[in-house]
Amino acid sequence: MWKVNLKVLMLTLAIVGFYTMIAHSIPQLESEVPEDLDLGGEVTPDALVAAGERVYNGAGGCVACHGLGARAPNLLTDHAGEGAIGARCGAREAGKDCKAYLWEALTTPGAYVVAGFDNIMPDMRRSLPVDQVWAVIAYLQAQGGEVTVTAADLPAAPSAAASAATGPPRSTTTDPRRLLAENGCLGCHAIDGAGPPIGPSFDGMGARLSAERIRSGILDPNADTAAGFAQFAGVMPATFGDQLSAAQLEAVVRFLAGRR
Amino acid sequence: MPELALLQAAADTAGAYGHFPGIGARAAVWIAAEVHLMFAAFVLGVPMFAVITELIGIVGKDEKYDKLSKEFTRLLVFAYSATALWGGLLLFLITTLYPRFWGHMSQIFSLSMWVYAGLFFIESFTLYLYYYGWDRWKVGRAKWGHWGLGLLLNVWGTIVMLIANSWLTYMMSPPAGVTAETIPSSIPLWDAIANATWMPINIHRLIANAVFGGAIVAAYAAFRFLAAKSDEERAHYDWMGYVGNFIAIATFIVLPFAGYWLGREIYEFNQQMGITMMGGFMSWLWIVQAVLIGVLFLAANYYLWLGMGRIPGAERFRRYTKWMLLLLVICWIVWGTPHTMIANRAELVAMGGSHHPFLNVLGVMSAKNTAVNLMILTTFLSFLMYRRANKRPTVSWAKAGTMAQGALFALAAATVLFYGVYGYFVEAIVRIGFSVYQVAAVLACIIGVTVIDLLLARGAESRGAIRWGQMPERSQYALFVLAVTFTWLMGLMGFARSGIRQHWHVWEVMRDTSVDAATPALGYAANIISTCVLIFLGLVAFIFWLGGLAERGLHKAAGKPAATR
Repeated sequence: MWKVNLKVLMLTLAIVGFYTMIAHSIPQLESEVPEDLDLGGEVTPDALVAAGERVYNGAGGCVACHGLGARAPNLLTDHAGEGAIGARCGAREAGKDCKAYLWEALTTPGAYVVAGFDNIMPDMRRSLPVDQVWAVIAYLQAQGGEVTVTAADLPAAPSAAASAATGPPRSTTTDPRRLLAENGCLGCHAIDGAGPPIGPSFDGMGARLSAERIRSGILDPNADTAAGFAQFAGVMPATFGDQLSAAQLEAVVRFLAGRR
Repeated sequence: MPELALLQAAADTAGAYGHFPGIGARAAVWIAAEVHLMFAAFVLGVPMFAVITELIGIVGKDEKYDKLSKEFTRLLVFAYSATALWGGLLLFLITTLYPRFWGHMSQIFSLSMWVYAGLFFIESFTLYLYYYGWDRWKVGRAKWGHWGLGLLLNVWGTIVMLIANSWLTYMMSPPAGVTAETIPSSIPLWDAIANATWMPINIHRLIANAVFGGAIVAAYAAFRFLAAKSDEERAHYDWMGYVGNFIAIATFIVLPFAGYWLGREIYEFNQQMGITMMGGFMSWLWIVQAVLIGVLFLAANYYLWLGMGRIPGAERFRRYTKWMLLLLVICWIVWGTPHTMIANRAELVAMGGSHHPFLNVLGVMSAKNTAVNLMILTTFLSFLMYRRANKRPTVSWAKAGTMAQGALFALAAATVLFYGVYGYFVEAIVRIGFSVYQVAAVLACIIGVTVIDLLLARGAESRGAIRWGQMPERSQYALFVLAVTFTWLMGLMGFARSGIRQHWHVWEVMRDTSVDAATPALGYAANIISTCVLIFLGLVAFIFWLGGLAERGLHKAAGKPAATR
């Protein structure tokens, strides 16, 4: 009996070991996470190109399609005898220079699809910060063309850039939950038991504060800091009076005052 | 503003993740989830054929099937506890190691989580009634009532699976319109459940569970066969191993079709996700998968060929097996040829283009689809020879029927080959459609040949009874190879399904900001998968041993030796 047990055990270990060995013997590719690149206001074009190359070959996942040239045009060597992307980007679309074309290609890729390929590319702003999108554009320009992306193209901060780049019209909703989401309140305040603890939780706020106190806290957040949040004093923007309409402000105040 | 962004990022991460000593949070959750899933697949798969074999026993009035069904179910009772224990462990690990993620999920799915827990109770009690009432409700209408319990057990188990699948598929393919800013509690529950990949995963898992259950039961039978002390016992477990293996392979053959559907839905949901899966950093995973499935086909055919040794009349087919083996190996090599790989600029220059000049020919889908379809046809042919071995048809049209079967095989193989070759001369979008014709040809052949065979077998003379138990021991080790490979394959596919989300807990909705956010390479994944497989098989061995103990206890109480069945 023990002989059978031993044989079964050895066979199992051998099979498992064989598959493990196979998996170790092939190229070890790890899916990278978009990293925080140091792309400050003084970044040089060379630094942008270098950063763009890292994103292109790594977290951007660009080579999965463009590296082959089968699912999407090859960008680095040649496509249809037109050379690398930096050499052909300026002539792709009438009235669009290279930079404008590449920005469109990375952020609204369905607007112009190269003949022979499907519209499969996503808006890269969904997976990369906007400054990294610009770095990729600089890298692509460097493939046979002139790099015209500069530090001035980079947004001051990712969130501001995202909204500026997308250019959404100001929301007119008076749905308080949507307003809290759209205005970034949930980036600091928890709600429904979840969220970061930078500012006081919205849960039970109506039991702690009056509607008047909530309103003044939104309009002039730095006048008074909630107990326990002194280390975050000054963090909350004092711009909501400009951002929200009166109806929107009152909708948010009523909503928070009602959360007991 | 940068300070605010930094603070927000810090606060977002702080408290969002726990720490697990030694192996880290991700590995801890991964192992608990995978082992739980393996047990879950077993306890969902086995009731499917327990209830089918019980029905065969009732309708055919053959107590042998009833005993087999009960033996399946005895394994379930023990395996069920293990499933629940690992599920509990997984729950505690997720809530303590990924509290922010758990908060997100529970805000959406709280209702279905309560239903899930409730159904678990109901399913448990149904299982206990089903097993412990076996000898009580043995005859007449009571037996049909008992069979109804088995059916209910399947219904509860399937609903439990559908609920759990909705959670993990939501993570892969959240409903359109859900973004990082969406408040989780505002997402309608049904929208979150009925997401793009939910139904394809449901179908794929339903079939895979039957495959897995069959393979583990066959391994159990193999172990009992090797440990058997009497010819009678050996004969019983030889037969049980054959039935388990038959279920595993028969259902396994349709699994790739469910896989195609799942893959297509993933592409339709998000092209980028699909490309990451098939052509991105995971492209090599499919080569490993091809190695495993090649082993499965070889082991399954080897078992059938050895099994023909105990069937009178099978000698006439023996000369074909070496050619079938050759075909299987060639197809295996083609299927395992890599094609689409991540290539950086230096690698592209080194290759002299986008594709490797040699791999470019064999590594494309045309060749791979052709290879896998021919492997399926070959395996089906092995099974047909096994089935026909000891039968001599007596119907007047026997010769014509056999020729029709041969023609169907030839037609299917020709169709597969034609579209495989033609695929090289058309564009990709046309080529993808060819796989449907290839699959349809193989399925039509399987259905047509089976129908003819069933009619041919009516009133057929026997060339001699199958000598159950007279199987070489190495055939039983082939069943172990199948069980271990299926288990490893399940771990690998779990990694593929989960890994394509990359650094997202919920795809493009909730980012993984933990230290383990990067999806690991296959080597690391293989270490975890192998660990899970060894834990699972170790526990299954313990359960089998417990089953044997219980059986010995029953026989002792009844005053007869355990070996006498």
